[in-house]
Amino acid sequence: MRYAISHTTVYSYTEPVGVSHNLLHLLPRDTDRQVLESHHLLVEPEPAVSELRRDYFGNQVSVLTIQDKHTRLSITATSTVAISPVQHLDASASWPWEQVRELIARDRGAEALAAAEFAFDSPLVPTAADYAAYAAPAFAPGRPLLDAALDLNQRINLEFQYDPRATSVGTPVAEVMAKRRGVCQDFAQVMIACLRSLGLAARYVSGYLETLPPEGQKKLVGADASHAWVSVWCPPLGWVDLDPTNSCLVGERHITVAHGRDFSDVTPIRGVILGGGHHAVAVAVDVNRIADDALEPI
Amino acid sequence: MTQTQSQSQSGNGQTVDAERAVDASSALSAPTLPLYPATGGFDELIGADGGARPAWTRLRDDLDRYGVAEINRRSEHARRLIRENGVTYNVYGDTGGADRPWPLDALPVVIGADEWTQVAAGISQRARVLDALLVDCYGPQRLLRSGLLPPAAIFPHQHFLRACHGTAVPGGRRLHLYACDLVRDRDGRWQVLADRAQSPGGAGYALENRIVLSRALHEAYRDTHVQRVASFFLALRQTLTNAAPRRRDNPRIVLLTPGPYNEAYFEHTYLARYLGYTLVEGGDLTVRDDTVYLKTLGGLQRVDVILRRQDDDYCDPLELRDDSALGVAGLVQAVRAGNVAVVNSLGSGLAENAALMPLLPAACRELFGEELLLPSTETLWGGDRREDICAQLDSLVIRPAFGGRGEPQLGRALDGRARAALLAQLSVRPHAFVAQRAFDTGTAPVWTGTGLSPQPFTLRAFAVANGDDYVVMPGGYGRTGVAPGLAGGPLCRSAHGHGAAKDVWVLSAGPVAPVTLLRSAGARVEFKRGSSDLPSRVADNFFWLGRYAERTEDTARLLRAIAHRVDDDPDTQGGLERSALMGVVQAVGINDPGASVRTVLARVVRDAELGGSVPHCLRHLRQSAFALRDRLSNDTWRIINQLEQEFAAAAVVESERAHDVQPALNRLITSLAALSGMGHENTTRGPGWRFLDLGRRLERALFTIELLRATLAEPPADLPAEALSLSSVQAAQEAALEAALDVADSAITYRTRYLASLQAPAVLDLLLTDTTNPRSCAYQLAMLLDHVQNLPREEDRALPSAAERLALGAGTWLRLVDPLELCKEDERHGRPALTHFIDHLASDLTLLSDAITTQYLSHAHAARNLTGA
Repeated sequence: MRYAISHTTVYSYTEPVGVSHNLLHLLPRDTDRQVLESHHLLVEPEPAVSELRRDYFGNQVSVLTIQDKHTRLSITATSTVAISPVQHLDASASWPWEQVRELIARDRGAEALAAAEFAFDSPLVPTAADYAAYAAPAFAPGRPLLDAALDLNQRINLEFQYDPRATSVGTPVAEVMAKRRGVCQDFAQVMIACLRSLGLAARYVSGYLETLPPEGQKKLVGADASHAWVSVWCPPLGWVDLDPTNSCLVGERHITVAHGRDFSDVTPIRGVILGGGHHAVAVAVDVNRIADDALEPI
Repeated sequence: MTQTQSQSQSGNGQTVDAERAVDASSALSAPTLPLYPATGGFDELIGADGGARPAWTRLRDDLDRYGVAEINRRSEHARRLIRENGVTYNVYGDTGGADRPWPLDALPVVIGADEWTQVAAGISQRARVLDALLVDCYGPQRLLRSGLLPPAAIFPHQHFLRACHGTAVPGGRRLHLYACDLVRDRDGRWQVLADRAQSPGGAGYALENRIVLSRALHEAYRDTHVQRVASFFLALRQTLTNAAPRRRDNPRIVLLTPGPYNEAYFEHTYLARYLGYTLVEGGDLTVRDDTVYLKTLGGLQRVDVILRRQDDDYCDPLELRDDSALGVAGLVQAVRAGNVAVVNSLGSGLAENAALMPLLPAACRELFGEELLLPSTETLWGGDRREDICAQLDSLVIRPAFGGRGEPQLGRALDGRARAALLAQLSVRPHAFVAQRAFDTGTAPVWTGTGLSPQPFTLRAFAVANGDDYVVMPGGYGRTGVAPGLAGGPLCRSAHGHGAAKDVWVLSAGPVAPVTLLRSAGARVEFKRGSSDLPSRVADNFFWLGRYAERTEDTARLLRAIAHRVDDDPDTQGGLERSALMGVVQAVGINDPGASVRTVLARVVRDAELGGSVPHCLRHLRQSAFALRDRLSNDTWRIINQLEQEFAAAAVVESERAHDVQPALNRLITSLAALSGMGHENTTRGPGWRFLDLGRRLERALFTIELLRATLAEPPADLPAEALSLSSVQAAQEAALEAALDVADSAITYRTRYLASLQAPAVLDLLLTDTTNPRSCAYQLAMLLDHVQNLPREEDRALPSAAERLALGAGTWLRLVDPLELCKEDERHGRPALTHFIDHLASDLTLLSDAITTQYLSHAHAARNLTGA
């Protein structure tokens, strides 16, 4: 499947901004199943410094500094990605979860070490006995890890209510856990807290989900949104992505942008400004399937 | 040198210590200063034979010669030096008179040359090992793969800053400054309680302690060959210079402090002065084009090296903690681009990691093929010794492995709930905890005023990277008794009682070469005059200090005039003046409608929540001054401290009579005059002084025109129009003129010039247009013009700045005006021409204030954080 993605963010300020520093995680990274075919970043006004590099986790990160006085900043990231279909996953083929936990704690192979990066508490995701206790019913002794994780994925989906008004970007995981409400970011971070509290490795993945309009209707422009889910290390299958918001395995309609320990590692736009008064922000995301026939050379 | 003692210490340390303190004053006939008996553990002074150790011989001879009275005299001398040098520390967040005087013991601790050589070798070896661990973690991570470093000791550490992985570091080092807290065990063996790798504090205090004691005990200091601590600071300066990515001949180096609320702010200011670096806060720096600049009055000045004294995760709100207002947005990117060096490198806090302590012997062998010379205190890390910790909880002190807020907890002191909570934490995140055993530490003698007493002793030692190795400060920052937040806390069972700082004298094997940074002998001083390097934030604070000092004084004078009239003169005349003066109260922005004169007066004197009240102004005055602590003299600071305290004390006297606040107001006005005198006579005419005076002049001009508006321009208030007889109007006008002269402190001048005849044009001339009266508007504008013309300006700017133009325009206009014309009255006995004139002048002054802010102070504004989706 191929997608054309456009993500526009516009900041408007009541007073001029003198200097604006921005750190962007907006361009999709390559994964086992995803190739970034093209990308473009359009910024107005023109930044004095614009640099694209890889961060510690291998994500594409752009650093922008705008040094001209401005009252409006517009950032548009466009890209095309190709995603290959998911191989059939046999959940029972993943190793028992205790075995994976031991591997993370003891093994120093490259893969286990890379997994250990995501096995501890991080700035936004704490670990605690409460989370382990919540996850416990799914993690019966000897159960294959992916099997148990899918169970947890489904439980969070069932027991937590999707409610955009209940939380904001800064709501702590503990509060989400108590309220049993939130959005994709909250569900992902709750699930990560549960898995890490058991000694397992889980990543936070930010990206997009292609939405389809109701039957017979045209898709609205700018109506898509950022999405987030969880990646769990399930040897020998490797990292497997689960979407607790939709209670599913991640498939061809999920486009990965970046992964990290939690939202703070992969925030789409982090900015610090000098001046500006009050500000308003508007975001528009479009994820459009590129029809297969468009591939045919003319 | 170590020794063992078979005696065991009994009972509670403190009472035993007290018993052991020997009262020398009772033994006046004795020629020598009596020592205390052996303590049972290791003591710095008393050896195994009960006599003084060899290293102390010289000092002891001198102390004997001095005798008790002389030691006390010198102790007092040391205290006075400390007070004069303003050595203080303050408790975080405590703003009200939080500065505590520094408690320095009159006696140093003496350590022999050979012993120190060994300790120093151990310190620099530890620094090398921790530096190598940091370089590996922020680079190839070979030690993680080899299994030497457990991931659980590194990955969850909040100071493992991923954004700093792979960034260039000066000289290939990540740990330039290292410190450790050392104690001796009962057998005299040194061990490390904690490693300090973030931005180790205390070196400045060690330096100050040395300067003070080397003066107070100068014969002893001279006789005892003591190694100089300045060698450490010379090495530090060299290392910082070499760290500069460019311009190594003359790099701009700044010392970054979290600000005056930090507990060690005194040390930051002291070190910045001693090393000759500009002291900056995060808000003083800005990043443009991946380069760090200092925001000064003269524009942006490139910064090459930052010696940071704030935690690394607070250094860049863009890439590190986004909730930090202390940082510099874009700093990590500037480091990455190789345009600035930060010392210690960002991310070095990872080495301040108690989980590493048990791993150091193995790391030292693997990295350098050496045995670790200086052991850590016995430490169990939860990451691999969780079962042992849980089993022995009662005999252990548990503390967070990665630093942070958690206090050390004594296992056996935990109640059931706290214990269960700790065990739950240990089961989910065992790696986040270490456990150590409490033990008895060695002691050192402390001067009690009458004799010597043994007290638990800890030493913070310092090392700075220099070339291939580290230079260790000979000596360090010693503490006896409790060392809050410094060494161990409850870890050292006997560490309680009164804490005192200790200078530590390390003997030299040979003659001591004089080293100092204070005066390089023979080198000619480079003459300097005021510079344009003044950070904009500092100028901003000077400006507001000036404004609030003046506002306080104006308000106090106004209140005094009102209080005087409320009590003395209950008849109409007083009432007329009073209403004019109450008009001024409102005109300067104090709004308390509907209240009686008495209640308004009471509130303006006492209510700190009322905008414009005296306590409100004083609070702001103090806040501005506090932010300038490193730039105000001790005398100035003392006046400011007194202002608030004295006034608060005087004004709380509950009284029905407004008259009773007058003594408090009088004293306040006198103290404010002292403050203004300090500004006038004791401040060099640099840009800082200009901003202080700009603030004062602007405020006074604004106040004076509001005073004139209420007393001269407005029609007499409180009189119904039909009741206006000529004589009553005249009486009201004269009363208002009198009050205006009184508030503006110009009554004497007026009477000298015009005797008793009160006439509006003459009063207006004196207060508005007379350039010889330092209280007139014209005088303020002349001074304002002088200041704006002499502020730093961009080079080759031919035209006057906006501020110059405004000051020049308003000043000229003011001189050309005819007071007789302005005093023409309308049918309601108001003076519309004067009102019109005042409106214009007020608007020009506001524009002038804005122009100064835009041109010079707009850099001073703080950055804000935005997170987008």
